[in-house]
Amino acid sequence: MALWGMQVAKKWINEKHGGIKVGDKIYKVEIKYYDDQSNKEVVKSLVEKLAVQDGVKFMLAPYSSGLTLAAAPIAEKYGVLMNSHGGASDYIFEQGYYYVVQTLSPASKYQTGFLEMIKNIDPNAKKVAMVYEDTEFSRSVFKAAREYAEKNGFEIVFDKTYPKGVQDLSPLLNELKASNPDIIIGGGHFADGQLLASQLAELKINVKAISILVAPALPKFYDALGTKAEGISAPAQWETGVSYSPDAAKKLGVDYFGPTQEEFLQMFKEVSKSDELPSYHAAEAAAAVLSYAYAIEKAKSIKPEDVREVMNNVEFMTFFGMWKIDPDTGKQIGHDMVIIQWQGGEKKIIWPPEAANSEPYYPIPTWEEKEQGKLAKP
Amino acid sequence: MKIRSYKPLLPLFLIYALLILIAVAVPGMWQPVAFFMFYVALGQAFNIFMGLTGYVDFGYVAFLGLGAYGMAIAIKYFSSLGLISILLGILLAVVMSILLSLAVGAVALRLRGAYFAIATIGVNEGFRYLIEGVRLWGGSEGIVLSGLMRRTFGRETANLLSTFFSDILIIAIAILAAMTTIWILNRKMGYALLALREDEDAARVMGINVTKYKIMAFITSASFAGLIGAVAWTLKLTYVFPEDVFNIHYTVEAIVIVMLGGAGTLLGPVVGGLIYGVLKYYLSVVFPGIQLLILAPMLILTIIAFPEGIVGFIKKKGKKSRISYYLR
Amino acid sequence: MVFAENLISNLFYGALLGSIYGVATMGLSLIFGVLRIVNVGHGAFIMIGAFTAFWMFTLYSLPPVAVIPIALVFGLAIGFIAFQAVIRRLVDAPELSTLLATFGIGIFIEELAKLVWGADYVGFSWDIGTLYLGPITVSYSKILAFFCSVLVAALLYLWFTKTKLGNAIRAVVQDREGAVVCGINVNRIFALSFSIGIGLTVLSGVLVTLFVPVGINVYMGGDYTLKAFVISVLGGLDSPWGAFIAGFLFGLFENGSYAILGLIPGVEPFALTRFVAFAFLLIILLVKPTGLLGGGE
Repeated sequence: MALWGMQVAKKWINEKHGGIKVGDKIYKVEIKYYDDQSNKEVVKSLVEKLAVQDGVKFMLAPYSSGLTLAAAPIAEKYGVLMNSHGGASDYIFEQGYYYVVQTLSPASKYQTGFLEMIKNIDPNAKKVAMVYEDTEFSRSVFKAAREYAEKNGFEIVFDKTYPKGVQDLSPLLNELKASNPDIIIGGGHFADGQLLASQLAELKINVKAISILVAPALPKFYDALGTKAEGISAPAQWETGVSYSPDAAKKLGVDYFGPTQEEFLQMFKEVSKSDELPSYHAAEAAAAVLSYAYAIEKAKSIKPEDVREVMNNVEFMTFFGMWKIDPDTGKQIGHDMVIIQWQGGEKKIIWPPEAANSEPYYPIPTWEEKEQGKLAKP
Repeated sequence: MKIRSYKPLLPLFLIYALLILIAVAVPGMWQPVAFFMFYVALGQAFNIFMGLTGYVDFGYVAFLGLGAYGMAIAIKYFSSLGLISILLGILLAVVMSILLSLAVGAVALRLRGAYFAIATIGVNEGFRYLIEGVRLWGGSEGIVLSGLMRRTFGRETANLLSTFFSDILIIAIAILAAMTTIWILNRKMGYALLALREDEDAARVMGINVTKYKIMAFITSASFAGLIGAVAWTLKLTYVFPEDVFNIHYTVEAIVIVMLGGAGTLLGPVVGGLIYGVLKYYLSVVFPGIQLLILAPMLILTIIAFPEGIVGFIKKKGKKSRISYYLR
Repeated sequence: MVFAENLISNLFYGALLGSIYGVATMGLSLIFGVLRIVNVGHGAFIMIGAFTAFWMFTLYSLPPVAVIPIALVFGLAIGFIAFQAVIRRLVDAPELSTLLATFGIGIFIEELAKLVWGADYVGFSWDIGTLYLGPITVSYSKILAFFCSVLVAALLYLWFTKTKLGNAIRAVVQDREGAVVCGINVNRIFALSFSIGIGLTVLSGVLVTLFVPVGINVYMGGDYTLKAFVISVLGGLDSPWGAFIAGFLFGLFENGSYAILGLIPGVEPFALTRFVAFAFLLIILLVKPTGLLGGGE
């Protein structure tokens, strides 16, 4: 998925944009990739091979925070830029690696938007339950969520984790039910997110709103859960239908770079040779490639150090959203996440209002109502 | 055959020398060679116990994990001592894995065969969930050291530590493990262990102190594992996460390496580790995405062709020829 | 009062989970008992079962219960092929070489499955209602999974004790050389046991989806492999129903201990339930080094 996203970006740059222009020279984008198998030993070797033998200067970081950290010293050694399109954890950027920058929003932003939304639409919903996977990624998500909640007058009535690879959440959810929350935020990755939703349904734990990390943002979530998925929300880095466009960029007075959303969807279809809609993983990978191209043109140089310098000061928009990094850490600060909700079998953007293409459905139907066939369609 | 023969070290050191030469001479090959050496060292360390005694410790990775934590703790709390903290980490890693091996040895080594193998899984998993459950050493968030190391040792030194020095140490560990192996093989302990592997009860009847040698091999093997964990994981990767360092997959890989090369032989784990590492690396470069689909049948074919491992096979074939002087 | 309610419902959930653990381990125990092979690729076969259920449901709307015989046949076939292609050649090889072979087979199956089904996490939704029983809320499909597991275990037990073939297999488990002397064709028994072991495991994958119908992925097997190893030892390795009972106990311990561990402040009780379950294993092995129901070595 992510690879298709990169190929779309490459295609756009090389064909539509006519290559990357640096002075009189025109560079074409070429993508080299290997499979790191999410293996922390392999990743270092592959990064060195890319940097030395393949002469790669601009890299997309491996798809996880730990792997990114493993690769960072090598990247720095060879002066190669690494752009993180999948490693969301904030701590990567707190280690002082100058050559690592981020295109997607960091983990700390994943669940705060949802709480902000709840605060706006129902000031009386105060009791929050947090139930999430015990991994570093979800921990950093929910640490930020906890801080946000406490600052904004929410009351956390339940805050427990489950280990990775669990088959049954019943004991945990049983306890959660007794805490009688208004809203539930939780999740971690794909499998446990689906499990969490399915067991909330099984135990008939009814609340006013649910937001689960990662899993619901993929179409397979609805395929798996059917109407049980109705009304469930998730944070997303990007979603088909977001309102980032050249016009929107003009209003903000920033550049727009890369394909429009329609072009992206069209080209994605051509590259992937399927009708599947791109997920945000494809979009963030494409955006990372585009950000390189944009910064290279701005820097008028293909030297990584010049490009990194320029990245400190650029602010522009792609179909993925805004791109601006914190100069000190390389952390993404321009990009905003959206919140999606499953409404009548469709993934709709419900927050923030300026990006939304539907109203939030609140409170969500109860599990019993969903069994009767009620949809979360406004 | 002479009883004390160090000749078998010759082909082994030739292989090491060749690898180091490649790492230094070919640009971009340093990390891949370090990657191969990780598997070679892992195989060597594992072989000292599994190869020589025939006992399979499925929870072996726990020693690597504990070693990784030992190094992490030393750097985290004693970084003010500068680079001495790394020496301290190596020491702590060895001590911690020896302590664990004593505990496991006292309890689990009373068990035989598969019961022992699985009991050690219990130790490994129990340890991991204890760390996560009581939030020991950062719990699931682990210990992330990159920033700290860069601040205290300086950027250059920290990079050097994780992209060069740790690799040198791994090579040193591999050499040390090989020398330990041949030292054991050449001594009474080696013969005792081989007797034990063939038939534990018979060895006991013959008056061999089976338990003593078993535990000695276990502790030796565990302390090498602790070293590998401290160096190849913490020092090289600059972070430790429990689900990562207690992942049973590494034990399985170690078993595969030892079996591929030939259990109980000196050269076996080196050959096995090289084959496994080289295949894994080059397949993922040439066939990204389907590398494992190709790797799996290759492993199966190898073991069908050489059920006693490649070195085991050559050793058997060349029993009477001059090669046998160089193989153990 | 709240505590009692929690304990009762958690034990109930634990019993359901335990039956799944049990049935998912029996195949492993059978193969170990007869062939002395530790099937490191065990989880891959559970995954195949789960995907079979998923596929049959989405393509032909077959409920998982109806898929059970299909999965069994499918599993028997895969097991037979794997035995003929690989395992047969290693029967006389050093014990551990088969470990490498099953490792390879496991990876091969996972990667093949990835080509066929992709790397996504999928699931399906087969709702047959919910049971409310005091503090307990549980879907009927889980209860069905429980009864199917018990039924499978019981049938296997009957087959083993009442049929000639079953007796022959038991004879090989107890004394391989003796069985040869008695005129039992050991190679045929090996082929049969391996196929049945894999068949059972694939079948258990279907029951797993009755219990957890979501999060199905080609790499889902790893967690089950690990649990199955532990449970099979707890049950005494060479007895499939020992494995079933041990699985049951393991589930009870995991979920049941939550009621108590949840009262400790400042810890993550769910992770500790795992710790307790593994500690339980070690204690059992210390007291009885051949597992709960194991005989001699």
